[in-house]
Amino acid sequence: MCMARVDRSVHKRGRATSPQIPPEEHRLAGSAGAPLPEARPIDIVSLHKRFGSVSVLRGIDLQLRAGEVVGLMGPNGAGKSTLLKTLSGLYSPDGGQILLGGEPVRSLGDRPEVAFIHQDLGLIDEMSITDNLRLAQRPSYRVWPLLDHQSEDRLARRALQFVGLALRPSTKVGELSPAEKTLVAIARAFARGASTLFVDEATSTLATSSARRVIEVLRSLARAGAIVVLITHKLSEILEAADRVVVLLDGQIVTDDPAAGLDREALVAKMRSVDSRHAPRDDGAGDGPGAELVRFEQVRSQRCGPVTLTVRAGEAVGLTGTPGSGLHDIGLMAAGLVAPVAGKVHRAPGVRCGLVPPHRETQGGFNDLQVRENMSISALPQWRNRIGLLDGRRESRHVAGIAARLSVTPRSPSAPFWVLSGGNKQKAIFGRLLLQQPDVFVLCEPTRGVDVATRAEIYSLITQLRRDGRGVLVLSSDAEDLLAVCDRIATVGSGPVEEPEPVGALSTGQLEGIL
Amino acid sequence: MSSGPLTAGRRDRPADQASSGEDGGAVRRGGAITALRGRVLQEALTVVAFMVIFAVYGGWLGGKFFNVKALILDVHNTVPSLLLALAVVVTLIAGQFDLSVTGVATCATFLSVGLTIKQGWPEAAAVVLVLVGGVAAGLLNALLVVGLRVNTFIATLGTNGLFLGISAVYSGGGQVSVPLGGRQLPGWFSTIGAFTGKCWPWLTWTVIAVAVVLGLRGALARRPARLTPPVWAGLCGVAVVAAAAVAELVLRLSEVVDNLSWAVALLLAVACVLWLVVGHTVFGRNLRATGANSTAAWLTGVRTARVTTAAFVIGGAVSAVAGIVLGSALGSATPDAAGSFLLPAFAAAFLSTVLFSSGRFHVWGTVIGGVFLVWVGQGLISGGVNFTWMDVINGLVLISAVAISTTFSRKGRPT
Ligand SMILES: Nc1ncnc2c1ncn2[C@@H]1O[C@H](COP(=O)(O)OP(=O)(O)OP(=O)(O)O)[C@@H](O)[C@H]1O
Ligand SMILES: [Mg+2]
Repeated sequence: MCMARVDRSVHKRGRATSPQIPPEEHRLAGSAGAPLPEARPIDIVSLHKRFGSVSVLRGIDLQLRAGEVVGLMGPNGAGKSTLLKTLSGLYSPDGGQILLGGEPVRSLGDRPEVAFIHQDLGLIDEMSITDNLRLAQRPSYRVWPLLDHQSEDRLARRALQFVGLALRPSTKVGELSPAEKTLVAIARAFARGASTLFVDEATSTLATSSARRVIEVLRSLARAGAIVVLITHKLSEILEAADRVVVLLDGQIVTDDPAAGLDREALVAKMRSVDSRHAPRDDGAGDGPGAELVRFEQVRSQRCGPVTLTVRAGEAVGLTGTPGSGLHDIGLMAAGLVAPVAGKVHRAPGVRCGLVPPHRETQGGFNDLQVRENMSISALPQWRNRIGLLDGRRESRHVAGIAARLSVTPRSPSAPFWVLSGGNKQKAIFGRLLLQQPDVFVLCEPTRGVDVATRAEIYSLITQLRRDGRGVLVLSSDAEDLLAVCDRIATVGSGPVEEPEPVGALSTGQLEGIL
Repeated sequence: MSSGPLTAGRRDRPADQASSGEDGGAVRRGGAITALRGRVLQEALTVVAFMVIFAVYGGWLGGKFFNVKALILDVHNTVPSLLLALAVVVTLIAGQFDLSVTGVATCATFLSVGLTIKQGWPEAAAVVLVLVGGVAAGLLNALLVVGLRVNTFIATLGTNGLFLGISAVYSGGGQVSVPLGGRQLPGWFSTIGAFTGKCWPWLTWTVIAVAVVLGLRGALARRPARLTPPVWAGLCGVAVVAAAAVAELVLRLSEVVDNLSWAVALLLAVACVLWLVVGHTVFGRNLRATGANSTAAWLTGVRTARVTTAAFVIGGAVSAVAGIVLGSALGSATPDAAGSFLLPAFAAAFLSTVLFSSGRFHVWGTVIGGVFLVWVGQGLISGGVNFTWMDVINGLVLISAVAISTTFSRKGRPT
């Protein structure tokens, strides 16, 4: 009964909007009810948020109007996520007002027309995709209180199709790759029929191509009268999608301009940072590749392969691929954590591998432990004294050195890990490897969610590692990483992966394919 | 054990960490000091609450409560349960619940008494066997939880029943005690659990002296850059003298030392070793990491299976020690000797998460929490409340400790 009504209303809208997306997919965007209503304007007036004595938001004034994609940028720790969490009611503001359609509201989080997709997505790993989607919606009942599983399944299937995922709706979210999870989170917001969407770095896990698809969808939503606020560190995404660019620096808005007049250089200048692309790339330095450290011989994982791959001392090898391609399985196998399904991973005797896991929220950090403990966990034995006890002071000194080099904020090494902003978590986990000093650095998504300046810093660190004779294996869905630091690159797809080719030897066509 | 003031994230007042950092960025000084004062208040809240209770007891009961000998006797009588609390806290740090500690302790009590009395073994051999048995019990738990991936509650609930059952079979369902005119327990064994068996004062004083010297050495090395070495050394010296005066005049240190029983000394020794192992070794760090996020720990190369196994083994061994102390104290073994210790053991362990407000399980916090818990109960009893109220008190404290720690430290925190 109820379903039929939903479908009809949605068809109407599907035709009205952007033609690139088949109506089948569009049905989903409004599946919760009436056609997407024009989003009500949102005005944020002098919003303040402090944590104890630290002011994270210092008077934010922002007007959001229907039909706009607003790109929100700013360095790590600027307060972007805090702004969203305050708007969503997760934090209560210490001052200022939020107006929805001209009326003051306490938060936007409890409005069905406003959806938030946070950096940590808010999906429940133990539950199926369908169940996760249901959490956001009014459940459809067969006979109350019995749920109508069929129609829920149908909805879920459409939602997945919409974001281009070929998964069974009964799949547990925990089994998905980070990228797939992001897509499910986006699908959930759409399925709920939101007309205002706040997206916090949802694209940072995605390969360039899938990120582009998501952004296209966001844009067409905005054309249909939605408000979309998109936080990202990728300048290209901002330039591509945003109508307006807002730059946050130290909890204040320093720029609020139409995107039309901005180009890459102007944006970077606004962020007062260095652009990675133009950071000098020094190849040639160092002695070139040395001894073989890790070799994959026709290795297969559950999802990919066979992979043939060699990592030598003093070189950086990069692989890229789409979500679900099993890109990160290669990292786990290289680090010796997972045994291949077939084939063999040869590791030279005595070679130690260190891993930056792909998903920092669940696999990277220990939220309840201190930043210091998080960073030192892989490198502890070096701080043992004669009787086997840890020398806490030496440990703290080393950790503080690395934290300063990567500009992890807040500086206090005894802060719990979870207070760090997303990018700072990533830096801390990268720092863990710098402390450990393994022979092979296996880096999954090394620059995910870090700001432009830190990205450049990480690139120069990788280059430095390579020059010091370490082997580096970069597994990133962001092709920019590969081009910036890798000597040899390859793409992981459905077929076999051949030994990566030197970047210089690739034709423009091949390069474009990778990008 | 955590030297840093880790205020495990109160989402409400999280600036603590952000600002208390030695170089916490653009933090105004006044702000930092306010934050610091706020934190001291919060951190000490639980301790202050206990102190208020004791002060009330003091006014109410006077010397009946504030009596060094009586207070130590209370601790002495609780040593088995405090040891179980230590066993529990090690597994809790690894993220596991060990409900089998009382079963292991009961079994250990029966064997440490029974093997000598019934089977005529030398007591030393019985003690060694019991310790080995404790390790084996831990291995069994680990096999189930780590190897077969049985849910930790179910696995340890099951093994708890198993060990209780073994004790019942061994004793024929009754109790094992020294028969009149039959074989006796050796004197050294009875001394462990008797309050009259005092630890040699010279040994205690030596340990205290060594601790002071080590502490002083550590403090001297931690000189703030602002102060010159002689000034800092002078300050440290003054602090030591002041601490000694407080210890002697307020805490009656020499009376405490005179009344320190072997059982209490054993408890302190076990706590000290566990504190070093958990807080100051690579293993201890790996233990915490495994408990905090086992996937992340595994990905950083921690052998989580091994670490969890070791935690269960330590838990089993410490439970066995608790059983031995209990057997020695009672001179006999009864089927329900240790059963009632489970609640106070967990209460003490969870109390440690709020006591120093570090939000995490803590070895010394467990001992101190357990001792406070006993004193609260004993005060009521000496004030005329029936001892049957003890479990009500323990239960209430356990629940409030957990409630406090979760509201303070986890509010809105990402999971
Ligand atoms: N609950 C909290 N308690 C204390 N400090 C916090 C808390 N949440 C965030 N902070 C601090 O506030 C600052 C802003 O964090 P926020 O997460 O908003 O940054 P961000 O702009 O989203 O950065 P990123 O690009 O890295 O995600 C950081 O320095 C962070 O450590
Ligand atoms: Mg953020």
